[in-house]
Amino acid sequence: MTRLFHSIWVPLATVASSGDGHEPAASSGAPELPNIITILSGYFPGQTWAQFLHHWENVIYAFIVAIGLSLLCFFATRRATMLPGRLQNLLEMAVEGLDNFIGGILGPHGRRFTPFLGTLFLYIWCMNLFGLIPGMMSPTGGKNGINTTIALAVCVFFYVQYAGIRHMGVWGYIDHMMGTPRSVIQWVLVPLNLPIHLIGELAKPMSLSLRLFGNITGEDVLLAAFVMLGISATAFLHVPVGLPLHLPFIFLALLTGTIQALVFTLLSTVYFSMMLSEHEGH
Amino acid sequence: MDFRTALSLALPFGLALAAIGSGIGLGKAVAAAMEAMGRQPEAAGKIQTGMIIGAALIEALTIYALVAFFILQGRIQ
Repeated sequence: MTRLFHSIWVPLATVASSGDGHEPAASSGAPELPNIITILSGYFPGQTWAQFLHHWENVIYAFIVAIGLSLLCFFATRRATMLPGRLQNLLEMAVEGLDNFIGGILGPHGRRFTPFLGTLFLYIWCMNLFGLIPGMMSPTGGKNGINTTIALAVCVFFYVQYAGIRHMGVWGYIDHMMGTPRSVIQWVLVPLNLPIHLIGELAKPMSLSLRLFGNITGEDVLLAAFVMLGISATAFLHVPVGLPLHLPFIFLALLTGTIQALVFTLLSTVYFSMMLSEHEGH
Repeated sequence: MDFRTALSLALPFGLALAAIGSGIGLGKAVAAAMEAMGRQPEAAGKIQTGMIIGAALIEALTIYALVAFFILQGRIQ
């Protein structure tokens, strides 16, 4: 029983803790709430399957979220009727809201990007909120959450470039990257414009991924720090319960999770509109 | 003074400076949004959406400082 006890509370190790030595994953020092996989890997230390699960915990949780969302959509559209039931109505509200939102930015021709951007919003939103379920971890936060956010940002980057090339052709794309030079002065400035545009295009996925990762990791670390505070507040009683001092920060985490998903989607939409705005009226 | 002391002294100061910057920027942005909402209450929805998005973008710079803090804090040991 004490091994289970230690495997739950030890993953809350920080730099300042007494350093139990069980926990190999506290190398970055930032506190993290334990989830099912870290509890398993603490309860079976050294077992290959437990270490394998712990190594891939981001991917496992991302898969859980993706499968959960897919099942939700499957069950909502199984027998689609004209007078929808509750689940179908909820999903239709979400899809129509996203469609109007993205159509408002990209115009009526931009609605063909709604599947990608809407899925991005729902997926990131569910991933951010998933970490607030006890025993789960949000794949976008935590020590290795940068991998998930970089993957999402790279998807957006490649899709934006592909949409630009398909809309404007390869020469039109290069022309857009050079800043559409039309006069002699603009042609002279091309060696300045081209690297600036290229670096700007590369900076976009970097900022997207770092923003999402930093916000969600910051929220998780804040929650873990206040959980530790709550536990140490009643530590003199020697019982494994503490005060729930982290409750206001769960509401803050709900808010920032939603806002960061919205900002990611909105910025991706704006990148699409910036890439596709060149030859609209020609 | 070895690098651990220097990092431990400098990192919170760096983060606090970033927080000051974002505090000032967010204050200006939200103040402008509040004023615009006061002038035209029927556009309050769109203004609020724009304010939230602008706030997230301004906050992102402080988050970059926080990410740098996490990375460097792991190297103190």
